[in-house]
Amino acid sequence: MTAYREVVVRTPLALKILPIVSVATFFIAWEIVVRTGVVPDTMLAAPTTVTQLLFDKFTNMDPDGALLHQHAWVSIQEAFGGYFLALAVGLPLGLAMGWFNVAEGLARPIFEIIRPIPPVAWIPLTIFWFGIGLPGKIFIIWLGGLVPCVINAYVGVKMTNPTLIQMARTYGASDWQIFRQLCIPSALPMVFGALQIALACCWTNLVAAELLAADAGLGFMITMGRRLAMPEMVVLGMFMVGLTGAFIGVIIDRVEKRLLAGIRR
Amino acid sequence: MQNAARPRNKIEVCNLTKRFGELLVLNDISFSVAEGEFVAIVGPTGCGKTTFLNTLSCLLPASSGQILIDGTPANPKRHNISYVFQEPTCLPWRTVRENVAYGMEVKGRPRKEIDERLDHILDMVGLTQCANLYPNQISASMQQRIAVSRAFAVDPDLLLMDEPYGQLDVKLRFYLEDELVNLWRKLKSTVLFITHNIEEAVYVSERILVLSNKPTRIKAEVKVDLPRPRDFMDPEFVRIREHVTDLIRWW
Repeated sequence: MTAYREVVVRTPLALKILPIVSVATFFIAWEIVVRTGVVPDTMLAAPTTVTQLLFDKFTNMDPDGALLHQHAWVSIQEAFGGYFLALAVGLPLGLAMGWFNVAEGLARPIFEIIRPIPPVAWIPLTIFWFGIGLPGKIFIIWLGGLVPCVINAYVGVKMTNPTLIQMARTYGASDWQIFRQLCIPSALPMVFGALQIALACCWTNLVAAELLAADAGLGFMITMGRRLAMPEMVVLGMFMVGLTGAFIGVIIDRVEKRLLAGIRR
Repeated sequence: MQNAARPRNKIEVCNLTKRFGELLVLNDISFSVAEGEFVAIVGPTGCGKTTFLNTLSCLLPASSGQILIDGTPANPKRHNISYVFQEPTCLPWRTVRENVAYGMEVKGRPRKEIDERLDHILDMVGLTQCANLYPNQISASMQQRIAVSRAFAVDPDLLLMDEPYGQLDVKLRFYLEDELVNLWRKLKSTVLFITHNIEEAVYVSERILVLSNKPTRIKAEVKVDLPRPRDFMDPEFVRIREHVTDLIRWW
């Protein structure tokens, strides 16, 4: 067994140090630009001001009516509600469309009609239907996440190595066996790509939905920051949106690496 | 062509014809293969060898004629047909062991039988050591051995091989050919082995079918009645090899 010992891959030094240097430089430059007045503080807040507000917002409901984690929690609920609904509908639909002609024939035309409409364009209708509460935003976010799920799952199945399908056929595998045993595992890397892309789409649409129709959430906080002329609140909202999105992305990446051990090294 | 040692015909191919539109590829091919026989098929490049195998394996429907296995029309769901492709066909998300098991799993064999057979076959081909590795962790030749093991594992009525060792170097090729012959003798499968390497055909098979240029038919049949292990320097071996070479010469 020793002959097949795992190879240890080391991260090059440059890739360890340079990211820290680059991030530090970015924030220091930003601070200097605002502090020295090159950019007036009515247009952009310095990182230190934003950090102050960050800690303040954990205990202070003013001026936007909710604490920071309350905003974040509302956004996360909306985003994940829409995201998981998009996965639950989009992935099976896309996988089925990739392999079964009936599914492709029925769903593809409708999907192609709806696909080019940006989810934000649905907001007015959504307000008619659901008001400005949670369900409406989940609907918008769901629409946004659905498209990448369907497309990636569909393409993933279509990319299944045809020789593998032939191989399974000669063993007498049924269509369903091939779908389950070959097409779905083959599509997994694309599906995991979809998890990331869909999350980005959901998160983007979340902010859009909250900018237009909300009374709480990180997007709402950004809007309030604009209305109250508080750039630090805008920046804090943006930062929180980015941070939360990145954090979820890391988790998905971890899960992906573990599940796809055999496909990617 | 029947002799006393051959109990019966396992495979009967009757008037097999395949056309793609106007293009006639397989022209009224008939032959039979005895149970447990190892038949090699050689032919000039582009003579439709792969179409021939794809039709035999029911991947392509025949235009006319039929293929009988044990007297009934060949059907991958009913018969055990195995096909070893030219390129490696390992499932990258399965370990070596799970890959070899794949054919048996499709056939719905009981888990206990699968495990026993896996132990036996992995041991025979020396893959036990790397049974839990994934295909991207092993060499291309080992991947091809997985495909061969998987093919033998289902106890095939008909095992089709399409130049399985075409991309390997000569030394390894002889080694794997010995391994193949060994598997065939122990597991007593009926093998149809396609190759463009005449030496390989003489080395492994009991009988060689020589195909003609398109539209393809069987041009000649050469018996290889040499003791094993075979020596490719043996004058009789060389005579057969040259005879087959003359038969497919197109230059």
